[in-house]
Amino acid sequence: MTKKKLFSALVYIILGIIVFFCLCPIIWMCIISLKGPNESISGFNSLWISNPTLQNFKNVFNIIPVGTNLYNSFFTTILGTITTLFFCSLAGFAFAKYDFPGKRFLFYFVIATMLIPPEVGAVPLFIIMRKVRLINSLWSLIIPRIATAVGIFYMRQYIVDVPTEIMEASRIDGCGDFAIYSKIIVPIIKPALASWAALTIIARWNDFFWPLLYLRSTPKYTLMVSISLLPVSDGLSTPWPVIMAGTTFAIIPIIVVYLILQRFQKAGLSTGAVKG
Amino acid sequence: MGKVLEKTKIRLAGIKMTIIQTLKKYKYPYLFILPFFLLFSVFQLFPMLWTVVISFSKWKGIGKPKSVGLDNYKLLFKDYMFWDAISNTLIYWVTGVIFILLLSIIIAAFLNYNRLKGRSFFKTVTFLPNVCAAIAMGIIFSMLFDENVGLVNEFLGLFGIESIGWLTSTKMSKIPVIILNIWRNTPWFTVIVLSGLLNIPREYYEAATVDGANVFQQFFRITLPSLYNILFFCFITLTVDSWKIFNEPFILKGPGTSNVSLFQYMYDTGFNLFKMGYASAIGCMLTFILLIVSLIQFRIMRKQDNI
Repeated sequence: MTKKKLFSALVYIILGIIVFFCLCPIIWMCIISLKGPNESISGFNSLWISNPTLQNFKNVFNIIPVGTNLYNSFFTTILGTITTLFFCSLAGFAFAKYDFPGKRFLFYFVIATMLIPPEVGAVPLFIIMRKVRLINSLWSLIIPRIATAVGIFYMRQYIVDVPTEIMEASRIDGCGDFAIYSKIIVPIIKPALASWAALTIIARWNDFFWPLLYLRSTPKYTLMVSISLLPVSDGLSTPWPVIMAGTTFAIIPIIVVYLILQRFQKAGLSTGAVKG
Repeated sequence: MGKVLEKTKIRLAGIKMTIIQTLKKYKYPYLFILPFFLLFSVFQLFPMLWTVVISFSKWKGIGKPKSVGLDNYKLLFKDYMFWDAISNTLIYWVTGVIFILLLSIIIAAFLNYNRLKGRSFFKTVTFLPNVCAAIAMGIIFSMLFDENVGLVNEFLGLFGIESIGWLTSTKMSKIPVIILNIWRNTPWFTVIVLSGLLNIPREYYEAATVDGANVFQQFFRITLPSLYNILFFCFITLTVDSWKIFNEPFILKGPGTSNVSLFQYMYDTGFNLFKMGYASAIGCMLTFILLIVSLIQFRIMRKQDNI
């Protein structure tokens, strides 16, 4: 018995250490962002705050247009997630519940496309976006990823488990194909939709390469691009508290959203993910 | 002759009919999957093929591309920056695969401990690093690893280690990038490994306990073999992700080319130096490397005959 207790204690200690390493940089960032102008930020001095202030958050607005950039990030994240959820679940539904010629081949094809990332075609993609006048437009971040291979794969894995009988019953009742999707399938796969929404929101909010490539002026930048241009250089002159306030704007909202969505996806993340 | 032509015509018409009929009959599923294939063709397949074409030319992105044959590739093989980028990316890949897989198995095993209380709290918190943007975390890491004000040097100072210029020395500059990469990506794979652990029937462990196997024997004899498919999936995803690593080395810049990844080098040549042809050649090499890695992976997969 004592051996078991000892083992349990060990597990908690190790998990505690892991939790510490996970949270440490985030909390440290918050502390520094709240520091007043006269407080020391070097070394262990950075761990205490004597007079917390929100001045740094105000100062970030003077360096970068936080408001506009936040709006851009919200816009692309929300629209991108909604469109992706709709089109991926629709395609996942087709692959899961229909029999049509070439289905197997097309599905393997979808999976195979995941092996080569679209980033390798960045040069022509930029040219294409310029041709269709989407450079400097937020739509350039949304349209190419309306339907993604991973999303379709994820949705299919989940929809396969939905009993086919429900579909057939409603078909006899005179439901059209799209109605079956919107009225029968969507309500059932809500947990999967929630967890895929969470993952997509995180990915889109944190997206950096595509906005960096397509957006070419400060008012059009998403928050990530703006943040990356904050004046970080090695040396004592770097205004670290202000910069940390900027990164707080990038990190805290998404953590809050994640914690809220976490409640919906209890069943989600693991069920659909991978089936060996 | 005419007869043959007639017959072919009839046959072609027949094929046309069956195609139309199939499309009509299966209108909805085809319509549902159409968006993906349209977008894939326009934004992935076509750019990929075009990259190959551009890679044989010299082009500034405007005006007419000048065909130069294999010159870009010849230059590439003599370009030490290109080889630096390859070896840097290789280091990110190898360290990523080893540490991320190892840590995610360990963390998932702890999270799966059957008498663990507060499991959902631990699960949520250990996933947080993956939620945070690589760019923002990169900035935080650049302060953590700062030579003068950084917490890491101060901590090492406790053990009498002199302060290290992490991002200013060629030897050390990759370490913050590697740590950030591991810190941010481990949680994602922990979730996947954990989902695999949950699929292993409890009876296996019960039987093993009856037979007197200890925790470690159980781990190596039951857990690891059952995870084979999942770990394989993780390995493939990690490989693709590592070869297109961009954010971490972009924000944690080392001296010279010491941190530049292959993909970052492509971006710099294409969009800062406007050598579109040369950048495309780098893109082709990247595709080539990924194709080879995928091929090897599928070979192994077919040999094992599972998944």
